[in-house]
This record gives sequence, structure tokens and C-alpha cells, in this order.
Amino acid sequence: MIPSTLRITLCVAVICYFVLILYYLKKRMLELKYTLIWLVAGVVMGVMIFFPELLVVFVKMLGIESNMNGLYVLCFAFTIAILMTLTSIVSRQTMKIKILIQELSMMEKRIRELEEQNNEKQG
Amino acid sequence: MKCLIIIPAYNEAENIEKVVDNLISNFPQFDYIIINDGSNDNTKEICREKQYHVLNLPINMGIGGAVQTGYRYARDNEYEAAVQIDGDGQHDVAYLEGMLEVLEKGQADAVIGSRFVDKEGFQSSRLRRVGIRFLSNLGKLLTGVRVKDITSGYRVVNRRFIEIFAEDYPADYPEPEALVIVAVHGGKIVEYPVIMRERENGESSITLKKSIYYMCKVTLAMSIRRLSFGVRRKKK
Repeated sequence: MIPSTLRITLCVAVICYFVLILYYLKKRMLELKYTLIWLVAGVVMGVMIFFPELLVVFVKMLGIESNMNGLYVLCFAFTIAILMTLTSIVSRQTMKIKILIQELSMMEKRIRELEEQNNEKQG
Repeated sequence: MKCLIIIPAYNEAENIEKVVDNLISNFPQFDYIIINDGSNDNTKEICREKQYHVLNLPINMGIGGAVQTGYRYARDNEYEAAVQIDGDGQHDVAYLEGMLEVLEKGQADAVIGSRFVDKEGFQSSRLRRVGIRFLSNLGKLLTGVRVKDITSGYRVVNRRFIEIFAEDYPADYPEPEALVIVAVHGGKIVEYPVIMRERENGESSITLKKSIYYMCKVTLAMSIRRLSFGVRRKKK
């Protein structure tokens, strides 16, 4: 079992975590789409704190000796998952920016040519 | 009333011609703009060939981003009303005069073409109706305004909300959230009975697989939207 002092600390931590996320969402400094993974992680952490039996089952399943180690493994797994989503988001945005720049350059060429044509007609 | 029809189109090559040709020949009093949302079929080529009014987005932004482009265009070209219809021919433009009339008389800031007022025509699948009723209840709970067909993409807004939407429009699955925006800004929403057709070609953007994600995302988005206006509204 997790010691009750630790459970209280973790409980406070998870509440802070949710308050912070909601605050950022409310201030519109976070896009909800990218925050879903954070919210899911928070919900799972909350469930583990309120029902530590689940954590014990999970830890046994993985074959980890100590419950505390299991908790760390879980946190680490979530961090990795969040980092991976971040990398995927960044990669997709890189691709989009690339296309945008390419389109922009082609458009610039078209406008330049149109302007030149226009000038020739006038001149 | 100078009214712009916004037609977001993502891979609508099969439908777009029919929709727009119908607009041009039967409703020449309305201006329209197609927002080609980075389609990878030949929507772009069809639009160029037929010389439609079109904005081509180089990247797929999703329905929210595409529609917002339309609202920006409406704002910059001084339209007094903007209506959004789907590029797949679900929405019958014949109702538009009636919807605009409600808007013009000042009875509403936003008029929603609703399937569920008279309960006629294509009513969507049972599961979807349950989802729509849930979102409708949520909207009522959050804003005090009941909109029966809260996911309807057929909607007219006046100049005030063109300007608001041009600045701030939800990104994906925007329909219910956009109505929360209207409600929290104190806009009046009226539902206008329409009959919708079942789409003929292509697939609806929301497949069954995505619906759980859809419900979670939209529920959260609507709640957070309401939350972020909470304090501001009290200040008034």
C-alpha cells in the first residue's frame, strides 16, 4: 500500500495539476486538442490515488517488487507518452510550415510576374 | 441585406459542382465563397475550371479553420450576414430567404437551420440523435439557451458575430462550441425548421470510430469555453 501521507501529498499535487491546466485553458494559452493527453494522465493519476488497490494490481502485473517503484514507472511512462505526442505535433507543424513557405514563394513569383506584365502594359 | 454564403469543402469534388451551380443559377442574389480546405482530390481544379469564387488553403486546417477563413473574408468585404452551408449538398439554400428574414427583423443574431423543430426529412441515425440531445442539454446547462439541433452546420449570423467569429472560432468540431460563443456574448439564437438531405456522395466527416473522441472533446471544449467567459460576463 501507499503510505497515507504520500497519498495526501499526491492528491494535493494532482489537484494543483488540474487547476493549472484549467487556468491555462481558461486563459486560452493552451489548445484543448493538445491538452487532452495531459488531462487523461491526470485522471489516471487521480484514480490511482483514490483506489490504490488498482496500483497494486498493476504493479504486480508488471512484476515490480515495490509499489513506490510502480508509481514511478507509471509517471515515467506518462512523461514519455506526452513527450512523444509533443514530438509528433512539432513534426506535423514543421511539415505544415514547410508547405506554407513553398506556397508563399510560388505566390510571390506569380504576383511579381503579374506586376511586371501590368507595368509593361502601362509603360 | 448583403449576404455571403460560406462553403467549406474538403475533398468534395463529387458534390461541389452541383451545389455551386445550383447557387449560381437559382440564387444569384447571394454571393458565395468556397473555402477549399487543402483537398487532395481535384476540388481545386474543378473550381478553377468553372471559375468559381474560391479560397484555396494550401494545408488542411479542419472545418473550423476553413469556416473562419470565410468569416474573415466576410468581415473584410463588408458583408452584413454570413451563412455557412456544407459542401456536400445537405443543406437546401431555399430556406435562406426565410432565415435571413428572421435575422433582418432583428429577432435573432444567429439563425440555425434545424432538423428537429418540425422533425421532417433526414433525422440522422439514432445514436447520433442521442449524442446531439446530450450536447443540447449540456448547452442549456452551460448557457441557459436550448438549441435542439446544436450540431447543425447550417447557420446564419449577423455582422456582429461575423466580426466575433473572424477573431475567435473553435478549431475542430466547431458547431456546438460556436453556439456557446454566441450565447455567452448575449446573442439571440433562433432555430428555423429545415429539411436536410442525406449526403449523396462521400462520407460524413464524423465516422462512428471518432464519435467517442468527438463527444469527449466537444463536451470539454464547450465547458471550458463557458468557463473562460464566466468572469468576464460578471464584470458587465
